[in-house]
Amino acid sequence: MHGYVRTGNSQPAWLFPFVVITVLILSVLPLARLAMVGIAAFANGGVLTVLGDASLWSATYYTIVTAILGTIISLVIGCLFAFLLTLTDIRGKGLLSFFFVLPMMIPPQVTALAWVQMSGPSSPLLKALSIAPPLGSPQPLYSVGGIALLYGVQHAPLVYLALRAGLMTLPRDGVEAARLSGASSLRVFRDIILPLSLPGIIAGAAISFVSCTGNFGIPAILGIPASIFTLPTLIFTKFSAFTSRTFGDVAVLSAVIAMISVAGLMIQDRALRGRDYRVIGLSGASAAFELGAWRFAFTPLLWAILFFMLAAPFFALVAGALVPAYGVPLTFKTMSLHAFQEILFRQAVTRTAFINSLSLAAATALCLLTVTVLAAYALTRRRDAASRIVSSLIEIPYSLPGIVMAVSFILVLAAPIPFLHISLYGTIWIILIAYLSSFFAVSLKPVVSAFHQLDPALEEAARLSGAGFFRRLFDIIVPLIAPAAGASVILVFLIACNELTISALLWSAGTQTLGVAIYNLDDSGSSDLASALSVLVVLMVVVMMLLLELLAKRLPKGVVRWRN
Amino acid sequence: MKTIVSAAALLAASFLAVPALAANLVLYTSQPNEDAQATVDGFMAANPDIKVDWVRDGTPKIMAKLQAEIQAGNPVADLLLIADMVTLERLKEDGKLLAYKSPEAAQYDAALYDADGYYYSTKLITTGIMYNTSAAMKPASWKDLTKPEAKGLVTMPSPLASGAALIHAQTLAAVPGLGWDFYKSLAENGAIAAGGNGAVLKSIASGEKAYGMVVDYLPIREKAKGAPVEFVFPSEGVSAVTEPVGILASTKNADAAKKFVDYVLSEKGQEGFLKLGYIPARNGMKLPEGFPARDTIKVLPIKAADALKNTDQDLKTFSGIYGSN
Repeated sequence: MHGYVRTGNSQPAWLFPFVVITVLILSVLPLARLAMVGIAAFANGGVLTVLGDASLWSATYYTIVTAILGTIISLVIGCLFAFLLTLTDIRGKGLLSFFFVLPMMIPPQVTALAWVQMSGPSSPLLKALSIAPPLGSPQPLYSVGGIALLYGVQHAPLVYLALRAGLMTLPRDGVEAARLSGASSLRVFRDIILPLSLPGIIAGAAISFVSCTGNFGIPAILGIPASIFTLPTLIFTKFSAFTSRTFGDVAVLSAVIAMISVAGLMIQDRALRGRDYRVIGLSGASAAFELGAWRFAFTPLLWAILFFMLAAPFFALVAGALVPAYGVPLTFKTMSLHAFQEILFRQAVTRTAFINSLSLAAATALCLLTVTVLAAYALTRRRDAASRIVSSLIEIPYSLPGIVMAVSFILVLAAPIPFLHISLYGTIWIILIAYLSSFFAVSLKPVVSAFHQLDPALEEAARLSGAGFFRRLFDIIVPLIAPAAGASVILVFLIACNELTISALLWSAGTQTLGVAIYNLDDSGSSDLASALSVLVVLMVVVMMLLLELLAKRLPKGVVRWRN
Repeated sequence: MKTIVSAAALLAASFLAVPALAANLVLYTSQPNEDAQATVDGFMAANPDIKVDWVRDGTPKIMAKLQAEIQAGNPVADLLLIADMVTLERLKEDGKLLAYKSPEAAQYDAALYDADGYYYSTKLITTGIMYNTSAAMKPASWKDLTKPEAKGLVTMPSPLASGAALIHAQTLAAVPGLGWDFYKSLAENGAIAAGGNGAVLKSIASGEKAYGMVVDYLPIREKAKGAPVEFVFPSEGVSAVTEPVGILASTKNADAAKKFVDYVLSEKGQEGFLKLGYIPARNGMKLPEGFPARDTIKVLPIKAADALKNTDQDLKTFSGIYGSN
C-alpha cells in the first residue's frame, strides 16, 4: 500500500463496514439460518420423511413443467413484440409498448382472477354475451396449461424488456451491408439479427423461468382448486397445517426451489458463455425493416394479443365486480355497485391494505435509496475482492423466489430478538425487512451504473478544497446520480406495491397487504369483492405508470424502460 | 422528482408515526369478510370506546397462524370466533383459553357452551347439499350424490381448509349406512374436495359443478340475491357446527374481550347474525328467511371427545381418499 494512493478512495472508515453489516443482516443471516434449519432437518432424519413425501415430488414436477411451458409462452409473445416494436416501422409503438408492459406491474393474483372471470361456465362476461360453456364444464384454466399460459402472459414483458435492450444496440452497418449485398429481409433477420439478439433472448428466458418458479399468486388461484400444487403453494399449505415439524419441512422445500432457480441461472450462464459478440460501428437498428403490406397482418395481430392479455380480462374483472351474486348473468337490470360500496365504505381491510402496501412500498424504496447510494459509493470506489463478494451477496436474495426469503426471515425472527426481547414476527416490520432484502439488488443496479459514469475528478477537486465526505456527497454526488436514484425508487415502489409472495406468509392482523387482501377475499367466496378491489388496484397501477410516462421526459434515457 | 421524493418522505414519516396496530382487540374469525366486518361494526357501535381489528381465514388456517404465533412467543389474537367447539375444546385442554362466565349464558342450551365458561356457541351452521338450478337431478339425500347422474359433478370443502367440513366428515363417518364408505363411493363418482366453503359456492353457482356439500347460509343468502342455486336439508340429517367464541389466555385486554363475548351472545348480537342469514344459537330467536321450521331440521349427533381424539386420523383417512395434500 506504501506510496500507492487509490484514486478517489477517500471514504470514511465506517462506510464499508456499514455496507457489510447491512448485507450481513439482509442476505447472509436469513439464508444461513435457512441452511442451518435445513441441515438440522437432514441430521434428524426428518429429511427422509420430507423427501419420501410424494407431494414434494409432484410439486417439484409441476413447478418445473409449468415454469418451462410458461417460459416458452413468454418467449414467443415477448420476442414477437420486441422484434416488431424495435426493428420495424409499425404504427403506434409508444402505445403498444406502454400497454404491453402493464401486465408485469399488475399483481399476478389479479391477473389470475381476471382470467378466471373471463372464461369457464361462470364467466359473467360470457353469460352476458350468452356464450358461456354448459353446466359441469370444468374451468379450463384450473390446469397445468392454464397456469403456464398465465405465467407466459405475466412474464412476457420481462422477456420483451431484456431483449429490447439488446436490440437497441444492434449494429446498423451489418444490416445495411447485408442489404446492399442483396440479402432478403428474412435472410438478414436469420443470419444477423437473430444470432446477435440471442444473449438478450437467453437472459429474458432465464428471468422468466426464475420468476415462474417463485410465483405464488397464479398457482394459488388456478392450481389449488384442481389440487395442482407447485412448490410455493405447497409451502403455503404447509403453513396452514402448522405442526412442530413445519419449519424443518419448509426449509427443505425452500432449498428445492432455490436449487431449481439456481439451476436455471446456471443454464443461462452456460448458454451465454462464448457468445460475446463485440460489435463495432453505429448502433441503433431502429426501423431496420419496412413492413409494407405485412403491416396489415402484424398490427391487428399485436392489438388482438393485447386485447386478450389486457382488455378482455379487465372487462371480466369489472363484470365480476358488478354482478349481484355469483352465477347471475350481468345485464343493466342486475348490475349492482354493492361490491364497490362494500369495499370502499364498509370493509376496514381495504383501507388497511392500501395504507400498508403504499407505506411498505414507500418505506422500502426510501430506506433502500439511502443504503444503495452509500453502498454504490463504497462498492465502486473499492475495486477489490471484498467488494465483489458483497455485490454478489446483494444479488442472491433477488434471484431467489420471494417465498424462500419469507421463510428465511420467519426462521430468523420467529423467536424474540436476543437482548431486546421483542418479537417482530406478526408485525409489519418483518414484511419490511423481507422487502428490503429481496429488492436491494433492484435498487442498487441503476445507482451503481450511474456511479460508473461519474468522473472522479469532480469529487477529487472538492476533496482537495477540503470538503468533507457528507459535503461532497450532498453537493456533488447526489445531484449527479439523482436521475438514476429516482428511477430506482420508482421501480422498487411499483414492485413492492404489488407483491404477494412474501406477504402471503408474513401477514397478520392489521398488516394485510393489497395482495393478501385480494387473495383472502376470493378465498372466502366473495369473488365480487375481490374483483372490485382488483379493479381499484389496476386503476392505481395505471395511474402510477401514467405519472411515470409524464415524468419520462425529465428523467434520463432508459429509466422508464418501455419508452424508446 | 423532488416532489415525488418529498411526497414519499411524508408517506414514510406518517408510516413510522402510526403503529401498525391501533386496535385494542384482535379477533381471529372464520366468518366470510362481509359478515366479520358486520359483526365487528355492530360491536363497535355498541362499544364506541373499543376498536376491533380482525383477521379472516379458514379455521384450520387461522389455527395454524395462531400456533405459529404462539411458537414465536407473540400471539396477536385476543379472541377467536371460529367454526367448531372441537377446536376450542383442544385449546382449552392446552390451557390456551381464559374462562369467563357470561351472564348471557342463561339464555342458551347447556349443550351449546362450556360449563367452565371457556367457550360459547354463537350460531348454528348446518352442512347440507347445494345444487345449481339447471342441474338434472334434484338431490334429496346424501346418497343421491353417489348416483350416476352426479358423476364428476360433485364438489365439497376440504377438511384441511374448513373447520365445518372436518366436523361434517366426522359426523357422516359415524352414521350407519354412510360412514367412510360413502366418502369412498363419492370419490369413485368423481367428486373433488378442494378449498373452503366459499370455493364450493363459487363452483356450483358458476356451473363448473352441479352439486356440493356446503354450509347452509351461503347458498340461502346467494339465492335471495338471485344466484341460480338451491339448498336442501338431506333426509338422513345434517351435521352442524356452532361457531363458538373464546378468549385467549394470553390476552392483554381481558375486559374488552369479555364485553365482546357478551355482545355476540346478547339479543342484539344474535339479531345481527339473524340478519346475515344465520340460525342464532340463543333460545327463542326466529330463523332467517329461506329456512324451514327449526324442528324440521334433523341435526346428526357428534361426540366432541371422540372427534377431538380422532382428528388427525380422520384427516389422514380423508386425504387418503381424496389425494389432497
